[in-house]
Amino acid sequence: MLAISIEALIKIALLMGGLMTGAAYFVLLERWIAAWVQDRKGPNRVGVPLTKIKLFGLGQPLADGLKFIFKEEHTPRHVDKILFTLAPISILAAALAIYAVIPFGSVLPKDGIPGVSHQIELIVAPGIDVGMIYIFALSSIAVYGVILGGWASNSKYSLLGGLRSSAQLIAYELPMGLAIVGVVLMTGSLRLEDVIGMQAASGIWTAFSQPLGFVIFVVASFAEAARLPFDLPEAEQELVGGYHTEYAGMRLIVYLIAEFLHMITASFLIAILFLGGWHFWGITGSSTTEVTWFQAIARIVVLNIKIFGIIVFFMMIRWSWPRFRFDQLMSLAWKVMLPLGLVNLVAVACLVEYQPALESKLGAVGITASMWGIALVAWIAAGIFAPLHSDNTARKDSFVLEAESRNRGLRTTAPGQAT
Amino acid sequence: MMLTAVALSTIDKLALVACFLLGLGLWMLLPRGSSRGKAFGLVLTTVSLGLFAVRLWPLDDMVSDIVFYIMTAVTLVSAIGAVTMQSPVYCAIWFALTLLGTAGLFFFQGAQFLGVATIVVYAGAILVTFLFVLMLCNPEGHSLYDRLSWEAGLSAGTGALMTILLTWTAASVTFADARGNTVGPTIAVREEAPATIPFQSSKDAQGRNILAAQHVEKLGIELFTKHLLAVEVAGTLLLVALVGAVAIVAHGRTSGMPVITEEARRDA
Repeated sequence: MLAISIEALIKIALLMGGLMTGAAYFVLLERWIAAWVQDRKGPNRVGVPLTKIKLFGLGQPLADGLKFIFKEEHTPRHVDKILFTLAPISILAAALAIYAVIPFGSVLPKDGIPGVSHQIELIVAPGIDVGMIYIFALSSIAVYGVILGGWASNSKYSLLGGLRSSAQLIAYELPMGLAIVGVVLMTGSLRLEDVIGMQAASGIWTAFSQPLGFVIFVVASFAEAARLPFDLPEAEQELVGGYHTEYAGMRLIVYLIAEFLHMITASFLIAILFLGGWHFWGITGSSTTEVTWFQAIARIVVLNIKIFGIIVFFMMIRWSWPRFRFDQLMSLAWKVMLPLGLVNLVAVACLVEYQPALESKLGAVGITASMWGIALVAWIAAGIFAPLHSDNTARKDSFVLEAESRNRGLRTTAPGQAT
Repeated sequence: MMLTAVALSTIDKLALVACFLLGLGLWMLLPRGSSRGKAFGLVLTTVSLGLFAVRLWPLDDMVSDIVFYIMTAVTLVSAIGAVTMQSPVYCAIWFALTLLGTAGLFFFQGAQFLGVATIVVYAGAILVTFLFVLMLCNPEGHSLYDRLSWEAGLSAGTGALMTILLTWTAASVTFADARGNTVGPTIAVREEAPATIPFQSSKDAQGRNILAAQHVEKLGIELFTKHLLAVEVAGTLLLVALVGAVAIVAHGRTSGMPVITEEARRDA
């Protein structure tokens, strides 16, 4: 009992340390990439404290953290004080608790660690059989932090941010769930370790065999992490700061860390569910029971490189894509992503049901090719039949309103329909 | 009749007193228009929960004891909070905490799927929708009429009665443990033989293993073979509800919209 607790505590400590440091340095990376995209220099001054060594600005996260800690912990008078404090705590707790079921490597070999006679699985709670639903449950708890923060602030900007956010998160949970169900059907398990094991054993990452699911999941996880182009909850140009407009000091940094953790979680999930997790051909091996030390470490490195790559992708997207309007966001979720998710689900279900027959007829390559074919057809169909969610012309029914207003003698011109 | 007789004989007076105190305390805590007696109600509720606690069974190891009692306390206290708060938003938050506690208790019993599903469905979907609506109300804008509990005495009394019935049921249930011995009634037996009849911790019983590797698989097989009809009926019911909701929205839109004449279209 004690040994298990100590093992779990060590894993938790490693994860917490890694995640918090990671979040701090990803902020720096984000600022560097922003600077690079905009042809600026970015933060490059703060180095080792109390010296003149600059170190490319690597001391910046420390300075940022100190700044947040020493800022005035200002609570505006008009807020609901209890919920105002509770909201950031709940969102951070939910964001961290998700990592109980997310593997950050494979297993460690039996020999080599004194006092340990079994394989150590690099996941905090290796036995949970409902891992993916657990992730869903906690990401729905995270919605509370946003809603409560927006409501307790008692400010229009915050409330609008909270409203937008809750609608957005609920809407995009559906296509995300459909994409995950595809993976679960193929694996036959809800545990993330098993998903990686399946991909490693077959050597085909899920992204290759379910391209449609992959695209849906990536888009939905951008929306769930509230990153551009889905950052409507805190759209600076419209809402000042969205649901955390009224926050300052430690409570604000807790919100910001939670947001970064959501992005890191999304990267973990993309890497694990669709990009093979720790698996890479020729380096890591594919057995989950017999590993050498080299493989064990290579797997951790491979997983981390994948996650890093996805996070850089997240940050590049931020500077290449404009924000959606809210109706576009909703129509993308309900009229494009959801039907595509259903197509993917049906295709995967057929594949799983008739796998032996299909494999003998088409072979593994043929199956993958037909999945790509289905994805392409569905994509084109969505492009033709789905509403143009990115157009900026006025809504078609706006001339109803116009006719009405004319009847009342108020002549207005709908935007985009100027005569 | 047999069962009732057994139950009447096994329930002890302390539990009855606890239920009575709980009802009284709840009545005092409920928003009745004046804040007098709230502190006393809090004391009464705490005392009654304490009385229930001393009658409960000690589990076989300390860790499960601590975890179980913490989660039970969280569930009960937040449930009381959920019914006695004046602001609907606070009620919702307390209720969310109740759900988390319940999910924790499910987990403790090894029902992982049920625990997680409770959070996803109730806390994640239903309660968030509630909050979504509540957020649109001004926190201070309600009339006093809206912030009072109607029929405080009746609801507290019903709650106490419900607790008595549940305690009776729990006290009269006997069940077979893993070794085939008959265990229980749990509340009354404690004084007689606390050490000889260990509570079934989740580690002992085969089917309730917290870390059962194939928990979901077994659940799925059970659902889709034994209870297939129920699953299908529930699914159909949800589909009907969904279609109904869409139909209501679509109907409202067509009837509420002015007719677009050809002239208006041309003018626009």
